[in-house]
Amino acid sequence: MVPSLRSAVRSTWKTLSSIKTGVVLIILVVIFSAAGTVILQRPMTDADDMARAYSPAMLRLLDATGLTDVYHTRWFLSLMALVSLSIIAASVDRFPNAWRYFARPYKSPDDGFRRVLPVQAHIAITEEEQGLTAAERAFRKMRLKSERIVCPDRFSLFAERNRISEMAVYLVHASLILIFFGTIVDGLYGWRGFLMLTPGTAGNQVEIRNGSSRSLPFSIRCDGAGEETYTDGTPKRWWSKLAVVDGDREVSSKEIVVNDPLVYEGVRFYQASYGGTGKLDRLLLNAIPKNGTVKAQQISLGPNQIVSLDADTKVQVAEFIPDYVVQDGHVYARSHEVVNPAVHLIVTSAKSEKAVNFWLPEIPGIAENSSSRYTFEPKDLKTGVFTGLEVSHEPGQWAVWVGVVLMAIGLTFVFYVVHVRYWVVPVADARGNLALWIGGSANRNRDAFEQTFKRFVEQIENELKPKFEEAAEQPSAVLPKITTAGR
Amino acid sequence: MSRARVEQHPASGMTLVVMVGLSIAFLLFIAFLNVIKSGDVLSEANLLYAALVFYAGAGALYLGFGVTGTGSYVKFASLATWAGLIVNTAAVAHRWYEAGHPPFASLYEMLLSFVWVLAALTLIAEKQYGVQVIGTVTMPVAIVGVVLMQLLRSEVRPLVPALQSTWLHVHVTLAMLAYAACALSFALAMMFLIQDKMKTEGFLVGTTTFTVGIYAAILTRFEGWGGFNVIAWDPENKSEVFIAKGVRLFVTIPDLGWLMLLVFAAVLAPLALSVLARVQKNEIFIGVANRAVFVSVLLQSLALLFFILRVRGGLYPSLDAEGLYPTALGTSPFILSGLVGGIFANLLYLLLLWRRADLERLLPDADTLDRITYKTICIAFPLLTLMIAAGAYWANRAWGSYWNWDPKETWAAITWLVYAGYLHMRITRGWRGRRAAYFAILGFGVVMFTFFGVTYLLNGLHSYA
Repeated sequence: MVPSLRSAVRSTWKTLSSIKTGVVLIILVVIFSAAGTVILQRPMTDADDMARAYSPAMLRLLDATGLTDVYHTRWFLSLMALVSLSIIAASVDRFPNAWRYFARPYKSPDDGFRRVLPVQAHIAITEEEQGLTAAERAFRKMRLKSERIVCPDRFSLFAERNRISEMAVYLVHASLILIFFGTIVDGLYGWRGFLMLTPGTAGNQVEIRNGSSRSLPFSIRCDGAGEETYTDGTPKRWWSKLAVVDGDREVSSKEIVVNDPLVYEGVRFYQASYGGTGKLDRLLLNAIPKNGTVKAQQISLGPNQIVSLDADTKVQVAEFIPDYVVQDGHVYARSHEVVNPAVHLIVTSAKSEKAVNFWLPEIPGIAENSSSRYTFEPKDLKTGVFTGLEVSHEPGQWAVWVGVVLMAIGLTFVFYVVHVRYWVVPVADARGNLALWIGGSANRNRDAFEQTFKRFVEQIENELKPKFEEAAEQPSAVLPKITTAGR
Repeated sequence: MSRARVEQHPASGMTLVVMVGLSIAFLLFIAFLNVIKSGDVLSEANLLYAALVFYAGAGALYLGFGVTGTGSYVKFASLATWAGLIVNTAAVAHRWYEAGHPPFASLYEMLLSFVWVLAALTLIAEKQYGVQVIGTVTMPVAIVGVVLMQLLRSEVRPLVPALQSTWLHVHVTLAMLAYAACALSFALAMMFLIQDKMKTEGFLVGTTTFTVGIYAAILTRFEGWGGFNVIAWDPENKSEVFIAKGVRLFVTIPDLGWLMLLVFAAVLAPLALSVLARVQKNEIFIGVANRAVFVSVLLQSLALLFFILRVRGGLYPSLDAEGLYPTALGTSPFILSGLVGGIFANLLYLLLLWRRADLERLLPDADTLDRITYKTICIAFPLLTLMIAAGAYWANRAWGSYWNWDPKETWAAITWLVYAGYLHMRITRGWRGRRAAYFAILGFGVVMFTFFGVTYLLNGLHSYA
């Protein structure tokens, strides 16, 4: 029982860590996420549009399988989790080998290695020490630090550069896991919603995407909002002055614009939209009395505001219709956009207790403008505006950004930092002729490395030449050592 | 080897150079006369015209080189490319100065930058890697780009609030570089397949499938009774006609749909024939299929011609609104690109069909091409990663979330995954040669879909380009 369980675990692990599994998982992710871009998705698309696009049976099927909200279904999230597991398993599986390679570099090549290494060269030398010092000088010219490796049976030189690049791929995988981790945290603990404020008001109830609402432990007050447009009317800038009120004091304030949010306690407020509410803010009127006893005056009316025109007469706004249409003797609002406004004023007289319906513009059949003691001329109209704030809380995003930076570093190392190694070993062939065996390897960009290697070999040959002549004149074994010390 | 060729045909060696040189001089001279009349010498339109003339000259010379293998052509071709690049740089700089932001904000500006990157990369690939015939592929693309630019709305438009960010420039620059590198890897993979002795029939299937795909996408605009839907154009406001926020008004050009359907059948024929040849194992069908490609190129050119003529002139009814409306080429950039792209792909196939031996002689060997393909992807992949990261960071500032599963985002991620798959197969499984080349081609297909297809076929937040 136990061995079979163990073998089951082992085979699961093997499957999970294999590159084939990884590729199959990636293909599945690709297929499903592509499906999500072709099939209309739930929260973004209105229910009406969905019903129009698909037949009821089709829609039921799509909803049942979660294909109308692919990216948030359990099976898609499980798939992403499996991808993460596969990356972890593959990395863990291959890590020990790579670590051994990294932690214990292969410095002294044996015969077998020397035979099969693809990039290698031989230079004939007369004497071991002389060859090695020449190679050492060549290394120094290439700005490489070489070390002498002493083994019982041989004596060699080793130099390398950028060994860390061998580990870079694990950095990339780790950063990917970190990004996934961040998105999972956000999926579990994050939320997004919408908050609509009109200038002068405060709010803390955020409408969440799924229809529920969430109350913040602090409230946001809007102290002003506006729009600037280009000369052709396209919006140039939307701004809102926001203040955070925590408890009863203002703790923070900022003028936000698109691309520059306000952040408070991990909750971010973005300028998302701006527009008119279609409600009255202030109406400026000229009130002209019909009999000449009182002078004409300018009055300013807000919603629910009563203004006295004289000792007896008062006026107030009963209705403001931003886009009116008259049908069957009634006035209706067609939209919330201020394109065709109508104002319904009530002019009351204290003495006669008479109320007159005054309409601007005068709507026949409804308006009683002629029986009013005053006529009104509209001078200016200000309607309310709202600022739409996108509110989000994404506690996992720091992991995402750290992951992104690590990935950039990792990829730079993976693709552009090459681990190169050189070995120099004095060898004697069967007839006893001494030669310098030079080998090199690079973990990528091998054709460029071959050129570098060729230059390195030429460099050693150059280093050998003059010394070789000197050595021929004065056959002294200590000469190379002196030269080295003298430099 | 090319020198030997020159010695064989000493006369034809210089004829084309002289002819192209004279045409360039003539066209520039005519333009110069017009410019002197109007007075504004260094306007963007003039600079672009000059760039077009130079690129066209370079394209002709590269093609001449591709066909005859005359070495001296390439020297003059890269000279012309240099000249075009300089003028193009001036146009980019002019645009940048006029608009006050780098030219990435509209399709027109993106094309301007794209053509610039393409010309620069052509010269780099030629000097650095010795891939001389690359201009045969890239210069026609540059020419199509500049011609498309003439048709698109080019006035400097102000940036909407969401685009007013430094991240726009970071994100788009990275995207341009990444996509250009992907395009280069695609061209190199194609050349590898040629050098790898892939059968010409294979290219036939690839090219015709691509063209069939284009016309299938175009036929999504087919309207019952042979109409063809395009977006209406408002010449007074110089904008597309909207019937509601974000909803464009489509007008139906009568009978153009039938023509598109006919061309669809014509491009389907060679594909069907080559499939038939494979099933029946009968080589005769391949010969017929090749002739069918020739016919389909003629029909496609006809479709392009009629499309341009019908779109530029005439008023058309709409299903959604009363009255007659004009339309303009600027409202259908993707259809136009599709039509031109189809013709271009089939012409390249015909070039391969007729001049394969010459091409093989001119290209670097298969191993080198395989290695350079891999290298370009090694450049493209980190750029793609950074492009996505910059986009995510920007989205986080502008839309409130770093990842919205918007179609553009999703497809960018899919592109990234495809190239990640390529790299894994190459590094851990040692995929070389043909399989790697197919993967590179697939990757570029996904890039093109992300760039064009998503904007044309799928809606989303990312509606600028």
